[in-house]
Amino acid sequence: MIDFYDGPGGREAMLCLGPAQGPVVLVALPFWEEANRTRVVAVAMLRALARHGIGGVLPDWPGTGESLVETEKASFAQWRLAHRSVAEMLAARRCYGVSMRGGTLVDGLADLAGRWHLAPMTGEAVLRDVIRLRAAAGLRGDEHGVFGAESPVRVAGNRVSPHFLAELAGAAPSAPEAIPYRVVRLGHDRAPADRTIDAVPPWRRAEPQEDPELAATLAEDIAQWIATCEG
Amino acid sequence: MELQAGSEVEATVRGVLADVLGLSQERVAGFDAETPLFGALPELDSMAVAGVLTELEDRLGILIEDDEVDGEMLETFGQLVAFANAKAQG
Repeated sequence: MIDFYDGPGGREAMLCLGPAQGPVVLVALPFWEEANRTRVVAVAMLRALARHGIGGVLPDWPGTGESLVETEKASFAQWRLAHRSVAEMLAARRCYGVSMRGGTLVDGLADLAGRWHLAPMTGEAVLRDVIRLRAAAGLRGDEHGVFGAESPVRVAGNRVSPHFLAELAGAAPSAPEAIPYRVVRLGHDRAPADRTIDAVPPWRRAEPQEDPELAATLAEDIAQWIATCEG
Repeated sequence: MELQAGSEVEATVRGVLADVLGLSQERVAGFDAETPLFGALPELDSMAVAGVLTELEDRLGILIEDDEVDGEMLETFGQLVAFANAKAQG
């Protein structure tokens, strides 16, 4: 079902699946076009988690999905505040952050019972991808070009504020030692991880594609990890 | 960096095109050196180009500089394999 939360830019929609009590995962998708490619797998993963008795919430951030905020007006700080607002709404339950790619940069302000990160990346890595995209689009994206020459910056069809990109420069995934933390990676990603699953990363696919096997594997990994956390 | 045999690199390039562009294995197996890619495959837009390059980096353990990204290296399957081979041989 679709519910709503009050974010920093106004009312935003969120997809809620599974039981309304007990542990719940709050999903932060990757950024921009990668979110479109990953959403179908993320939603299938939440449906599978619901079958494990775990609730799931997938919010729109300001400037994404159904949001009334213009994409180019959204800021990275707003997304982090929006994430915290949703976590506060869910405070009566044990809320776990499930964040993917750039989404792992968004979940740092919320008070969470644990963080489960899929292919976490730094803000610098997000920016490198933006520069590559613009190189591929024939728009040579040197630093000057990315941060100043064009405003908003076009990132695969999304109009992104240059301030948003500048905010990403020093950002890193949050992993305080006080709460459980698990890193899962996909495919040929060689970076350190608790587990690497042999699957094509959905964010790399040219078109959003269903991958029920991957969705089920991710859900099972999260369910087992939450069971361990809940002890 | 470990050396990768040319045929291995070619197989990796086929695998990446199939996975990123969502093409069937049969279709990708039919690609030869002259098969046109950029401009000929509707699936290969700029987002997909970025995905193909990054996935090639991961699978071949190579680094592609963004100023090396041009239409020529993606013009045909043969040119993309030659580019990947040159990178993989370091």
